[in-house]
Amino acid sequence: MNLTDREKKMMDGAFGAGPQTAMRLLVTLGEVYEAKRMIPVSSCHVGGRSFLISGEESIEWMTELYEGGARFQVFTSTNPCSVDFDRWKEMGLPEDLVRKQSRTDACYMRMGAVPLGSCLPYQTGNLPLPGTHFSWGGSAGATFSNSVLAARGNREGMPSVIAAAIAGVTPEYGLHLKENRYGQVLVDLSGLDHSSLRLSDYSAIGSYVGRTLVSKNPVIVGLPKVFSQDQIRFLISAMPTAGAISLCHLVGITPEAPTAEAALGGKPPEDRISVGFEEMKSSFRKLTTTPKEDVDMVTFGCPHCSIPQIREIASLLEGKRVSPNTRLWLATSGHLRNLAQRMGYVEIIERAGGLVLADLCVAPGAPFHLVQGVKTVAINSARGAYFIPGACNVDVIFGDTKDCVQAAIDGKWRGPR
Amino acid sequence: MKIILKGRKVVGGTAEGEAVVTKEPVSFLGGVNPDKGMVVERGHEAEGRVITGKIFVFPHGKGSTAGPYIMYAMSKRKTAPSGMINVQAEPIIAAGAAIGNIPLVHRLDQNPLEVIRTGDFVRIDADKGIVEVTKKEGD
Repeated sequence: MNLTDREKKMMDGAFGAGPQTAMRLLVTLGEVYEAKRMIPVSSCHVGGRSFLISGEESIEWMTELYEGGARFQVFTSTNPCSVDFDRWKEMGLPEDLVRKQSRTDACYMRMGAVPLGSCLPYQTGNLPLPGTHFSWGGSAGATFSNSVLAARGNREGMPSVIAAAIAGVTPEYGLHLKENRYGQVLVDLSGLDHSSLRLSDYSAIGSYVGRTLVSKNPVIVGLPKVFSQDQIRFLISAMPTAGAISLCHLVGITPEAPTAEAALGGKPPEDRISVGFEEMKSSFRKLTTTPKEDVDMVTFGCPHCSIPQIREIASLLEGKRVSPNTRLWLATSGHLRNLAQRMGYVEIIERAGGLVLADLCVAPGAPFHLVQGVKTVAINSARGAYFIPGACNVDVIFGDTKDCVQAAIDGKWRGPR
Repeated sequence: MKIILKGRKVVGGTAEGEAVVTKEPVSFLGGVNPDKGMVVERGHEAEGRVITGKIFVFPHGKGSTAGPYIMYAMSKRKTAPSGMINVQAEPIIAAGAAIGNIPLVHRLDQNPLEVIRTGDFVRIDADKGIVEVTKKEGD
């Protein structure tokens, strides 16, 4: 790789052992990907913040970096984690986990991370601008930044984001380069009756596209004229789970995709698929892991709930009561929870027996297996349903928001599967 | 009998030891116990094998992006392999080798999974991209 003088000095330890470790890691990755040079990043977002994912080892590593003089040079926010620091007792979590999460967080914050605790950091303070380069962990956020904001970045592993935040640069490969950003496969959604589709359905479509295209950049045509941010998020967040997609062109929405031709860079697509009702339904069947009726936990918030979603769930729960055998958790950021509280939604949901939680991840880093009696979790997102069984060793039912809320009230799953 | 393979450096340094070879991808998070230095993934071809001080040869990584932290921890606890050879490195193994300072080479001129067998003695000079394999007696 061609390194600048500053990068070479950092590599040689002139700025301390911490920045040296960071630069060495970035150069290693750059060489694996045959990057020619480093490029400056203007936004970082650390994933894998859950102690349940990163463990004691991440604390050891970050302590060594900090003591070696490493500090974040780039605006860096954090993904959600394994606990809500104010509500963990009501959640039934062990105090030990809260302490461990708090030690992990301290490592991030003393290097300068802003604890947004959100997988939608672009809603509350970390908004990458078009054409700029970012280094984000958390594949849902990275996919949104590429696909909707037209900022450029790869789906990163955990230490590489920390290294980029310290060094201020990242190797130029993959989606940082325009030639790798063109669409490859045309995905036609015009055969679907969009007026009847719910958020969970878009998530099911995204999961199907991820399974089918694996790592090719999709070009989605046939979307309705008005398509909300929640609909976009549910559609694209499931793509990097079964597959490794981190950029999806939504024709008419993605700035790089005013037309399908522009998204494809003037070339013919490598392939074309169309997604219909059956393909969509297949995701619900594929992701649900149990035929059992009893539901111990219903959760929303993968990715984190937006205000419109919290409003919808509050309206479904108003005047109702969650079954004594079932827990209902909504996960969002501290910022959005405050807003939802001012708007009265938190009171409605919590009066019904649910919890609106801040900072918590309800999928890859979730603590469901540590809550007594939780064996089956129902969720309205294909992304969440993909991660939960492996991460928490519990069964999952993937269904629609309304059916999930009803399951919380009945304590039993009566919706389709 | 000695065989010389040429490849590319991912993480520099020199290492030597007995080879542990598997044709299956490896996830360090969940798949390797960092205290015992042992592959523990259920049903994995290398399940139960100790990789501490060995040259660990496998196609590439898989699984969680937290894998690098496990390799780092193994280095700290002195349970890490002394070196690694991949068919093709990917970011998780590369990052782990970098932060754990474990020499790693990949893209050899012959398939290391075919040429190297568990028990062979292997020397790596990662900076030069050279792998020297001494076949086990009677093999």
